[in-house]
Amino acid sequence: MADGGSVDGKGIGARVLRKEDARHLAGKGKFTSDFKRPGQKEMAFVRASVAHAHIKSIVKPAGYEHAIFTSEDLPGLKPMRALSKLPGYKLSDYPALAAGKVRFAGEPVAVCVADSRADAEDIAQMVEVEYDILPAVTDMLAAKKPDAPLVHDEWEDNIVFETFSDDDFQKIADEATVVIRREYRMNRQAMNPMEGKAVFAEWDDRQDQLMMWTSTQVPHLIRNGLAEFLDLEQRQVRVIAPDVGGGFGCKALLQPEELVAGYLTRKLECPIRWIEDRREHLVTGANCREHHYQITLHATPDGRMLGLDCDVTVDAGAYSVYPFTNGLEGAMAHGNLPGPYNFKAYKCRTQTTVTNKPGLMPYRGVARPGVCFAMEMTIDALAREIGMEAHEIRMKNMVPESAMPFMSIAKKHFDSGNYAKSVEMAVDMIGLEKVRASQGVPTDDGRIIGVGMGSYVEQTAHGTSVFSSWGVAMVPGYEQATVRLTPDGGLELRIGVQSHGQGMETSMAQMACEVLGIDPDNVMVTHGDTGLTPYSTGTYASRSMVMAGGATARACRVLAERMEIIGAHLMQCERTEVSIAGGKVVSGKGEVSFAEIGRVWYLNPDELPEDVDQGGVEVTMGYRPEPDSGAFTYASHACKISLDVETGKVKVLDYVIVEDCGTIVNPMIVEGQTFGGATQGIGTALLEESLYDEMGNPGASTFADYMMPSATDAPMYRVDHMESPSPFTEYGIKGMGEGGTIPTPAAIGNAINDALKQIGAEVMETPFTPRRVRAAIEAARDRKEGEAA
Amino acid sequence: MTELSININGEHIKADVEPRLSLADFIRDRQRLTGTHLGCEHGVCGACTVLMNGEPVRSCITFAAVADGSEITTIEGFDQDEPMAQLRQAFHENHALQCGYCTPGMLVAARDIVTRLPDADEDRVRLELAGNLCRCTGYVGIVKAILSVLEQRRI
Ligand code: FES
Ligand code: FES
Repeated sequence: MADGGSVDGKGIGARVLRKEDARHLAGKGKFTSDFKRPGQKEMAFVRASVAHAHIKSIVKPAGYEHAIFTSEDLPGLKPMRALSKLPGYKLSDYPALAAGKVRFAGEPVAVCVADSRADAEDIAQMVEVEYDILPAVTDMLAAKKPDAPLVHDEWEDNIVFETFSDDDFQKIADEATVVIRREYRMNRQAMNPMEGKAVFAEWDDRQDQLMMWTSTQVPHLIRNGLAEFLDLEQRQVRVIAPDVGGGFGCKALLQPEELVAGYLTRKLECPIRWIEDRREHLVTGANCREHHYQITLHATPDGRMLGLDCDVTVDAGAYSVYPFTNGLEGAMAHGNLPGPYNFKAYKCRTQTTVTNKPGLMPYRGVARPGVCFAMEMTIDALAREIGMEAHEIRMKNMVPESAMPFMSIAKKHFDSGNYAKSVEMAVDMIGLEKVRASQGVPTDDGRIIGVGMGSYVEQTAHGTSVFSSWGVAMVPGYEQATVRLTPDGGLELRIGVQSHGQGMETSMAQMACEVLGIDPDNVMVTHGDTGLTPYSTGTYASRSMVMAGGATARACRVLAERMEIIGAHLMQCERTEVSIAGGKVVSGKGEVSFAEIGRVWYLNPDELPEDVDQGGVEVTMGYRPEPDSGAFTYASHACKISLDVETGKVKVLDYVIVEDCGTIVNPMIVEGQTFGGATQGIGTALLEESLYDEMGNPGASTFADYMMPSATDAPMYRVDHMESPSPFTEYGIKGMGEGGTIPTPAAIGNAINDALKQIGAEVMETPFTPRRVRAAIEAARDRKEGEAA
Repeated sequence: MTELSININGEHIKADVEPRLSLADFIRDRQRLTGTHLGCEHGVCGACTVLMNGEPVRSCITFAAVADGSEITTIEGFDQDEPMAQLRQAFHENHALQCGYCTPGMLVAARDIVTRLPDADEDRVRLELAGNLCRCTGYVGIVKAILSVLEQRRI
């Protein structure tokens, strides 16, 4: 094996500064909305003004008929249909433009095309749509009632998907003398990458090909979807993701607007651009989270967890998103609820309901922030009940390091790690004892202090076996990478995943450096282009570093062998006498630079040895971890908050993170992902909520009423790392892009309830806004007064 | 149409614009200076921040016509600017950007902080930054970068 040493410590583990920074700092990043071509037209959508209705008529204003298109004007445009083999899953169509019926406010009804967005919006305003309004169902629990209005007329109810697993609770009945029951709700949010969705479509007559630049995490999946629903051959579609301004899940899906742009560019014979505005983002797409939990934990008086019984409801909105479907949240909630804990009995039922709201999309952490919230809050409730510190309960019940690898009660195959150690370290870092001592001292400003934590384990980079069991239209297989030595000794690296903030142009180059010893500066990483990169299901599920990184390592090793053959020949020595080190082929007799190898292969092939590999200095290799059940990252977060009893306002004072994502490729990037994720978690915990009224009208359509975490809401996080390599992946790397988001709502919720414990109040619904905190305090006071009276 | 005479990044420009055209759209679509980004178009996120006569403004809620006669500096116009050079280096070293979408507006706001408030501490920097949203970084690198430039400039 030819793994070369790294150049100046720039391989795995190094804090290499990012190669992608320079262009962004100069304002020279190239995002989809930056594209402009002569003759291009812009789209604006007429969107449903009501949540549930039959469309009676659409009247186009006179003189503008040519610029307005309804579903009837776009024959051959198929509705999106996201397949699933989950047993009992009900399939449904998601039309790109509403056909006869609208199912959520904001659903595209017609599209208007003009030279500028402003002109297109002017036209859209003149379009008259008459609706026959139907009663709407907007609450997931109400949607289950027998008399609830049906979102999809062809179904007999509003339940799209259910899971159920039973267990025998008799076996724990004698011991489980403590029973904790709670009801939790994590409300609906929107993902809000700072760049919304954007699409630029152009038909290339020379190639007979639809060229689509789109702000996506999954260019190859978008290509699949465009080909399927526009009825094109795959060769007729090329999808390119240029710079993408954040994704967090919503850009891992095909959107109706992409289909319409792809259709219209060909029909109208001009480039078509659509740039989602923030209002569209907030009220029509990227809706996420929204879980409800009815949870019962059975335990012993000394804090041993014995059984968990839970009813989970997920609000999937009106439509199933392509290709992930709206079934994954429920399925993943079922499989992830027990978290890092081991207990004897687990019973769970999940019901995913449809409502007259935008389709639910998988957002960073997918289902896990919800289940972690429910589980971790319940553990703290148990701690308060039995008078124990919650971290002691966590440590007592976590799967121990000695048991790894371990098949969890929810059939997750944990690979490695010392979960309890992360708890211990986090407790230490937050200074629990000191906080406890300070809690007894009253402050003059009426604030009370709380401390709380949350732990999770996250399945990352799970592969074929996991996704094929779900039967969705995107099953990851062998991830591939292509490496090519250039004539001057540089390296081109092509990967099918997409980097939109994760810094893969740097971290993947570090991977090549690890194997070949080549300076990352000499490695050009190309990603996000179906025309240039190997097929990949893309960037989601914290998989890119494990999968594309692993494939890169494999491809680089084969390239190394081929370069060694050429290098040995040039140095007149045996193949066994040479190796790759520091970006060169070296032997006892001297060294040959990569540039020299490149020169010989490309420019002077007469100098090549006879046994040269005819595949040359370009290699594509595939990689899949074995087993492919996932690499399990975990972390414990702990925080200290202050709470103003009068106003209900919560402030995060200190926040610590102890995380273990196996072997760390670039600690700077890992920390950045963690801080960013945790801040999104603060949004979930304290600020962000997509409100809908009972008619299904969205109540948060601007950043004035949808509160995003700003610099004043986020603390200066403190972080420490553990490194338990996965035994199953290249270099022991585990995925970590999502994790920061997962335990934050739990940690903050637990801290709030810790502070409120003296009042006897408890919060159980995110976001913990001042109004909700006040309501909890008042309810507790009423209860006490009631008891006294 | 409104006639507009404006100086962008040192270049004098005359143009006819619709009264309703925003300064951001004028900069991006007409002048093709696409470093100025749009994150909300309603004045909250700060992605579109540019300097107008030396002061930060939100170009998404400033009409181009209102900028008549003014001097505008966009992210592309700071190449000779010392505080901006310091900030760019500090942003790079502190991992103050991930996707890079908020970065141009963030840099323009940061330049305003380091030049206007030489004594700002962490709390003040955070308060000043509250009008610039970043969804990726959690603000850790951004705040550290700005504090480090303030420190450099105090020596
Ligand atoms: S785009 Fe101007 S403030 Fe958001
Ligand atoms: S770096 Fe992505 S929004 Fe700030």
